[in-house]
Amino acid sequence: MLEIRDLVKVYPGPVAALQGVSIEVSSGMFGLLGPNGAGKTTLMRIVAGLLEPTSGKVIFNGEDIVNDPRLIRRQLGYLPQDFGFYPHLSGEAMLRFLLVLKGVEAPQGLKRLATELLDRVNLSYAAKRKVKGYSGGMKQRLGIAQALAGDPRLIVVDEPTAGLDPEERIRFYRLLAELAEDRTVLLSTHIVEDISVLCPRVAIMYDGRFVADTTPTEARKRLAGTIYQGAVEQQDLDEIERLYRITQAILIEGRNQVRIHISQGAAAKGGVPEGFEPVSPTLEDAYLLLAQANGEASS
Amino acid sequence: MSTLTRWWGVTRGELRSGLRRPAYWVLFAILALMAWGFSEGAVTISSGDSTVGGERSVVTSVFAQSMIQSIVIMAFGAWFLAVAAGLVVIRDLELQVVEVFHSTRLTPGEYVWGKFAGALGVFLVIWLLYILVGTGFNHIVAAGPEAEHIGPFALGNYLYPTLLFGLPQIFLFAGVPFMLGTTTRQPIIVFAFPLVVLLFTLGFLTSYSPSWLSPEANRALMLVDPSGFRWLNETFLKVDRGVEFYNTGQLRPDSGFVISRVLFSLAGLVAVAGAARSYASRLRRGGSDSRLARFFRKRRGALDHATPGAATLRDLDMATAPLGFWKAARVIGREEVRELVRRPGMYLFVPLILWQSVGTSVFAVGAFNSQVLLTPGDMAVRQLNTLALLICFLLLFYTVESLHKERGRQLAEIFNATPIPTGSILLGKTIGNSVVAGLILMVGVVASAGVIVYRQLFAGSPVGFDVVPFIVTWGGVLVPTFIFWTALVTALFAFFRNRYAVYSIGMGLIIYTVFRMTVNDPFPWMLNWIAWGTVQWSDMGAFSLQGRELLLNRLLVLSMVPPLVALAVKWFGRTNVDATRLVHRMRPKPLLIGLLRLLPFAVPAIVLASMLHFGGRAGRQGSAAEEAGKDYWRENTATWTDFDMPSVSNVDIDIDLEPGDRSAAVKGEYTFYNHRDHPYPQIPVTAGQWDPIEWTLNGEEHEPDDRSNLFVFTPDTPLGAGDSLRIGFSYELEFPRGMSKRAGGEAQFILESGVVLTAFAPTFAPIPGYIPGVGVDEDNSYEPRDYADDFYVGETEPLFGWGGEPFTVRTRITTPEEYTANGVGQKVSEEVVDGRRTVVWETDHPVDLFNVVAGKYAVKEGNGTAIYYHPEHDYNIEEMSAALDAARRYYSEWFYPFPWDLLKISEFPAFAGYAQGFPTNITFSEGIGFLAKSDPRSHVAFMVVAHEAAHQWWGNLLTPGRGPGGNILSEGMSHYATTLLHEQVYGDRYRMEFSKRIEEQYGDQRFVDSERAMVKTDGTRSGDGTITYDKGGWVMWMLQQEMGRENILGGLQAFIAKFNPDPDFPVIQDMVAVLRDFAPDTVAFDAFTAQWLFDVVVPEYRFSDVTKTREGGEWVVRGTVENVGTARMRVQVGATAGDRWSDEDDDGSRTVVAEDYRDARTEVELGAGESAEFVIRAVFDPERVLIDPDVMVLQLNREAAVFEF
Repeated sequence: MLEIRDLVKVYPGPVAALQGVSIEVSSGMFGLLGPNGAGKTTLMRIVAGLLEPTSGKVIFNGEDIVNDPRLIRRQLGYLPQDFGFYPHLSGEAMLRFLLVLKGVEAPQGLKRLATELLDRVNLSYAAKRKVKGYSGGMKQRLGIAQALAGDPRLIVVDEPTAGLDPEERIRFYRLLAELAEDRTVLLSTHIVEDISVLCPRVAIMYDGRFVADTTPTEARKRLAGTIYQGAVEQQDLDEIERLYRITQAILIEGRNQVRIHISQGAAAKGGVPEGFEPVSPTLEDAYLLLAQANGEASS
Repeated sequence: MSTLTRWWGVTRGELRSGLRRPAYWVLFAILALMAWGFSEGAVTISSGDSTVGGERSVVTSVFAQSMIQSIVIMAFGAWFLAVAAGLVVIRDLELQVVEVFHSTRLTPGEYVWGKFAGALGVFLVIWLLYILVGTGFNHIVAAGPEAEHIGPFALGNYLYPTLLFGLPQIFLFAGVPFMLGTTTRQPIIVFAFPLVVLLFTLGFLTSYSPSWLSPEANRALMLVDPSGFRWLNETFLKVDRGVEFYNTGQLRPDSGFVISRVLFSLAGLVAVAGAARSYASRLRRGGSDSRLARFFRKRRGALDHATPGAATLRDLDMATAPLGFWKAARVIGREEVRELVRRPGMYLFVPLILWQSVGTSVFAVGAFNSQVLLTPGDMAVRQLNTLALLICFLLLFYTVESLHKERGRQLAEIFNATPIPTGSILLGKTIGNSVVAGLILMVGVVASAGVIVYRQLFAGSPVGFDVVPFIVTWGGVLVPTFIFWTALVTALFAFFRNRYAVYSIGMGLIIYTVFRMTVNDPFPWMLNWIAWGTVQWSDMGAFSLQGRELLLNRLLVLSMVPPLVALAVKWFGRTNVDATRLVHRMRPKPLLIGLLRLLPFAVPAIVLASMLHFGGRAGRQGSAAEEAGKDYWRENTATWTDFDMPSVSNVDIDIDLEPGDRSAAVKGEYTFYNHRDHPYPQIPVTAGQWDPIEWTLNGEEHEPDDRSNLFVFTPDTPLGAGDSLRIGFSYELEFPRGMSKRAGGEAQFILESGVVLTAFAPTFAPIPGYIPGVGVDEDNSYEPRDYADDFYVGETEPLFGWGGEPFTVRTRITTPEEYTANGVGQKVSEEVVDGRRTVVWETDHPVDLFNVVAGKYAVKEGNGTAIYYHPEHDYNIEEMSAALDAARRYYSEWFYPFPWDLLKISEFPAFAGYAQGFPTNITFSEGIGFLAKSDPRSHVAFMVVAHEAAHQWWGNLLTPGRGPGGNILSEGMSHYATTLLHEQVYGDRYRMEFSKRIEEQYGDQRFVDSERAMVKTDGTRSGDGTITYDKGGWVMWMLQQEMGRENILGGLQAFIAKFNPDPDFPVIQDMVAVLRDFAPDTVAFDAFTAQWLFDVVVPEYRFSDVTKTREGGEWVVRGTVENVGTARMRVQVGATAGDRWSDEDDDGSRTVVAEDYRDARTEVELGAGESAEFVIRAVFDPERVLIDPDVMVLQLNREAAVFEF
């Protein structure tokens, strides 16, 4: 169980990155969704014991991480947002070195384990290649391999799918889902699909605060019957934007496919524009609506 | 936006960020401190007159500024420049901003040149500030009537040296590291460049100048010296041109030097152009670094879409068990070592440091510029300072880069999130970096062994290798320094979390430490963390002098490690600290709690520091001893300075030595005899710091008046003319007393390794009368006495010794059985009782002074001579014994019959480096003669014995008078005697070699402006030493040519006979008066002595228009020779062919002239500035023309007075 209580982080400036966030996360996958600058990475770094908060507590399985970050390091699998490796080492040697540092043990020995872990993240073909020759996606996979290694009770992954192609992203989802069966996984991302696929529970951060703590299903359920989609000509887009709350607007084959939110009451009164059809809400609709609402509240 | 605008944008950005960096302001602070030191006159050109009112060289002249700036930029600027310029691109790459830059219109060329210009600009700003501050210090702060070293202000004197010496170095040290950093992206290589150049330049290019170096090679070295100092030194400074020249002259570079400076500047710029090209090329390749790497990437690219595995993580059956502390440290350390092995820095630094340290010791010189016979211990200790300094630099770089590594490679977050203990990380990194230091030390031992074994096998050295001294000194002294230094650097890095700040502090600390230890006010033991100069090696018993202090110092350094490690672990930033919480932690209470927690770690350090501090204060160099000396001076100087003492007629002294305890019990009696015609109501005697002392007067207990250790005896009736009285004494002493305050040797000591005690000062025996120099330091020092021209008329006091008439001495010395103890005179008895050996020495002819020396000796006996030496130091014993025999025999024939029965030399440990010729009992430090690398060519051991043995005549049998020229009768005459003995024993060749050697020393060490006539030379001015020894010996040799050998020797015999004994002690004028009677041509004698003894002259010859033609059956050489110096001398000009001396047949025992050598000669007489044409006819084809082929005339720059056809 991970408990975050009244966590405040103020950077010199001052910039309030976290403004008293509290949450409890039990075993399983927990998603953290929010725009850039929302405070996700700050929160992840505090949970990983790499950043001292200004105030508040982070307790994992009854142990206060803020007071003694060493307590979490023994149980942690961590993938930061930005990272690098020793460029002169091969991927396998780098991973083996990190496995040793993390105290990972396996019956087959660390050399074999490193090979197999690289296989799990589809890097075995580049195991002997020096890390300085890795692409961004390969480095990301190597980072994932080290984060998942061992028997961490808390896995903190910050923007883990950045730079991964769809195939690798799916592979990662599977690995993470497997691990989340009996431990806590904290996944921070601004890619809604990651959360949709993986997380039974998600918190949405905005401006250093949690603005929602829900499940993707619950979030979608709340919007049932309120999302409509239709094609809009370019010249009509401004008018639609003025009259309705747009959740998404994407160009498909040169035409704007727009998803809008209309409350059930308004829809009943015939407030649905012509050509728009009701569609199933997505988590992304929910997230974007929340973001808009908070943006308006802030302004 | 134009190219120029974009370039300027980059330049300005770098300039701004650079000027905000603390490292530059630390550099500025260092430079400003130095500028202040220079303005105080700490560094000036070695010229001028050091006495009050004498003309001084000024620090503001263009020559002085050139000298200062050329070295300051090299020593202090090179590294800062290299780091500043070399890391700018690396830093941007680490920050990953480069791709963003180049997504704009900024081209690689604009970026690279902009970065370079910015880094260069920052240094130029700092340098100009330094010039400004230095100018201010010189002309505003220091200027005034008292500041004789400050000349008038001239802006050109500051800017011209910057242009000529500074800018080429600045471009070079900015450009090349910039290129290295940009192309290799390896900070260590960036650091290596300035260090390589710095050490090569300061250790070799600026200083390597043996007399045999050809002018062409010398010229080449001048032009490749990036500092330009060699050119300046060899062209203007080496031969003193007089203070007027330096203070007001113009510095005009020759075209070759100008081209060299331009090329250095261009080298820097070309390097930047190369960097720009390389950078652009890499950018086009997307950052890949080699074709090979790209090739493999292409091949493997086909596998990038390998089939995903279906296995799960659970199959891997992983578990986590955090590593133990030591295992974790080992893992980190192993990885550090792996990386170090891969990096080129190690392969640059290791040979470089070894070259510097081993090379320094290999080329070390000892007494009289003799080559040192390196024993393993000596070699190990000679390298200590160099190794400590260079490895500390290296550890600074490697430790900081290692600690910064994870952050620099963005691995820090992953790394810091692992459960490995922080202590393990720091220890592991320390272990890894220590490998470099350990490797250097190990390779250093191997290299040193190689040198010693090579010399043993191929160069005739008798010394074999032994690893123990290396283990003891390097392991015991250097290793604690490196552990402490690494801990300190780690703690600093943990605190500042900024590598530039740590570099600045680390560099500053090292530079300041070395400055203090070598230039000004050395650190006491407590602060001497680097152990600079702490080991005085002796094969006779290392560490016996200051082993206790050294041990405490090393323990102190090690005891600092736990608190530093505790702080480093505490501060090491695995968790980024919150600013608000940090402020809370800085409140007094938490801070105090933190300090109290640290206290247990610091207790050992506090205790050890206190022991060293208070031990030093209470010891022989401490404030109590200083105060006692001051009290002695204050209470007695006005009353007793000019007191003329009665003679001592007999000394009877018993000394019971306990070398292991540094102690002795002394009991004795002096018999005073009134040799004057007035009574003495009081007799003063100076004692050492012995308490209590029991005194007797004529055998009765007596309590003299204690005037701060000057004990004044008042007999019941004044000591009348011709009367005697006896003063007795007994006391116990420890010597050296207590702990020393700072590292260094001692002139006298009672140690387990050896004992050497003299009656020059009250170390073991009381000294009759008041000693004027005791208790005098810079607070109460005064200018030396000015002597009138006729000061020597009437009675002159002796230069050394107790004065009065010679006296007899009986010394009874008791030591542990294994020691041999020697005193003056001859041994009259020896017995061993209960493990204690007692010997009694008695003089068989009166002496002026006495001493005691003891050690665990072997003995080599000769004809009326004996050498007592450390059993392992038998390398030169045969040569030394032969020299002592020859000296006794020939000096007796030439000067005066040796009146004593036995002449002996005894060796003592190298805690002091002198040799002293006490009557019959000469003492040599082991570094003199015993450990001189003597070979058949140089006969160094012979030379030093010949010189020291000559003091039996020139010093003892003839004790010189106190006053100008007096010491030349001791040292100069001993050099003259050495010249004669060389000629007698080895023949012309080695006499000439010796004469040329001391002539070269005179040329190098004289100060033109302060040089006075030999009859005025009193040892108080710069350069007086070489006049006293080298010129003194040479002038007597030339006087011999003038008078004829038999005449001068006859005159010298008469001279000694006249003044031995005599209440009047002679000086040069007395000798001239005697010798004149033996001169066959008094006019020529007067002319010679007038210019060489009563004036300052020295010729310097130059050839011009030399031709050779074949005329009939002979060769005719014509030319002009000019005396560009002074003095009027007849000198030979020789035309020669072939090498003069046969090396094949020559075993060094006698001169052998080569069979194919030919010469023809003529003679010219030239006064100052005169020239003469000469013609030499030869039946052979001359290969060269040279001046003074037989080395008969002292001159400057002899090697330049050669013309090769």
